[in-house]
Amino acid sequence: MSVYLINKILYMTDNDADFRKRMMDDPEGTVKSFPLNGEELEALITGDVGTLYQMGVHTFFLNHLARYEIFGLNRDNYLDRIRSGMEYDERFELGSMPVQYVPKE
Amino acid sequence: MAKLVLAVGVPHPPRLVREIADAGPGQLRAEALMKQVRQYVEKAAPDVIIEIDSDHFVNFFYDNVPAFCVGLAEEAQGPQEIWCPMPQYTVRGHVSMARALLSYGLRSNFDLAAAEELRLDHSMMVPLHFLNPSMEIPVVPLYTNGFCAPTPTARRCFSLGRMVRRFVEQWDQDQRVAIIASGCFAMDVGGPLRGWTDESWVGTVTALLEQGRYQNLARRATSQRMAAAGNNSTELLNWITLTGAVGDARPTFLETDDGSGYGVWDLEDGLS
Repeated sequence: MSVYLINKILYMTDNDADFRKRMMDDPEGTVKSFPLNGEELEALITGDVGTLYQMGVHTFFLNHLARYEIFGLNRDNYLDRIRSGMEYDERFELGSMPVQYVPKE
Repeated sequence: MAKLVLAVGVPHPPRLVREIADAGPGQLRAEALMKQVRQYVEKAAPDVIIEIDSDHFVNFFYDNVPAFCVGLAEEAQGPQEIWCPMPQYTVRGHVSMARALLSYGLRSNFDLAAAEELRLDHSMMVPLHFLNPSMEIPVVPLYTNGFCAPTPTARRCFSLGRMVRRFVEQWDQDQRVAIIASGCFAMDVGGPLRGWTDESWVGTVTALLEQGRYQNLARRATSQRMAAAGNNSTELLNWITLTGAVGDARPTFLETDDGSGYGVWDLEDGLS
């Protein structure tokens, strides 16, 4: 259920302008209002997309954290973080597609 | 009777419109390829488009994910994503055709879902921006779940395409129908392989399409094989649905650009 909730939080961040404002203004307080367990909250709040990925959170949603620059993620650190905890793969060397920035409102 | 006159497949890079503007006209291969495909659409002059696509969590979410869904909306707007820099459009639906497809599908053992209200994402809008720029041609969206595992099998998508072709051929309206399949062959979006392209899989897909070996492609495009090519590679399912609709016809035009394909099946002379 909790992976579903994390997906839902990030889905709403992208699709619901009011919820997105809450996530931009107070991301930690917003995610703490959901019934997530300690490990899940910790991974979210520290921007640990590598752990969230291995929990099963959808990469399209994790990408939104870098896109909207929430919990310290951005296009410069996203790839390293989502690969953390994974074994080195030579295909990583070829990865260079940037995260898409969101225009500031 | 209606006639399927054209089927095309193109990708939908969400920033392509901006990238073309930034690079300047005539600089990007993707722009040239879109223009080439558009020439076939203009020549075919379809009365209606069936767009085969996978929603990227804009219209659907995990709370309710249909395997297949036909859009019954009179009109819909997109792209909805604020990070997709391109013009906003209103797309006209074709409600009577969409309802006829829904009913025909149900009678043909395709239990399609149906939606009377749609939020169109970039994967619907980028192909239409390039191929239906006036937005005058009405569009029947035909969604396939591409991203919430487990997804429909490629073989089922191939059968879906065959059903769509039979539907068009028996539809009692004097309409010229085109299919647009939206999606790439191999890509990773937001995952650890982002930026890497599975050239081997792109080569296999391209060769099988060129050779008209569509059922072979549908057998080989397992969930595991597509996932190994990156988390976005299930968009190939939309191309496989297209191949189910074109019969034995070979592509008139097929080019690749990195992990993306641009293909045209000119069906004007009838389906073999």
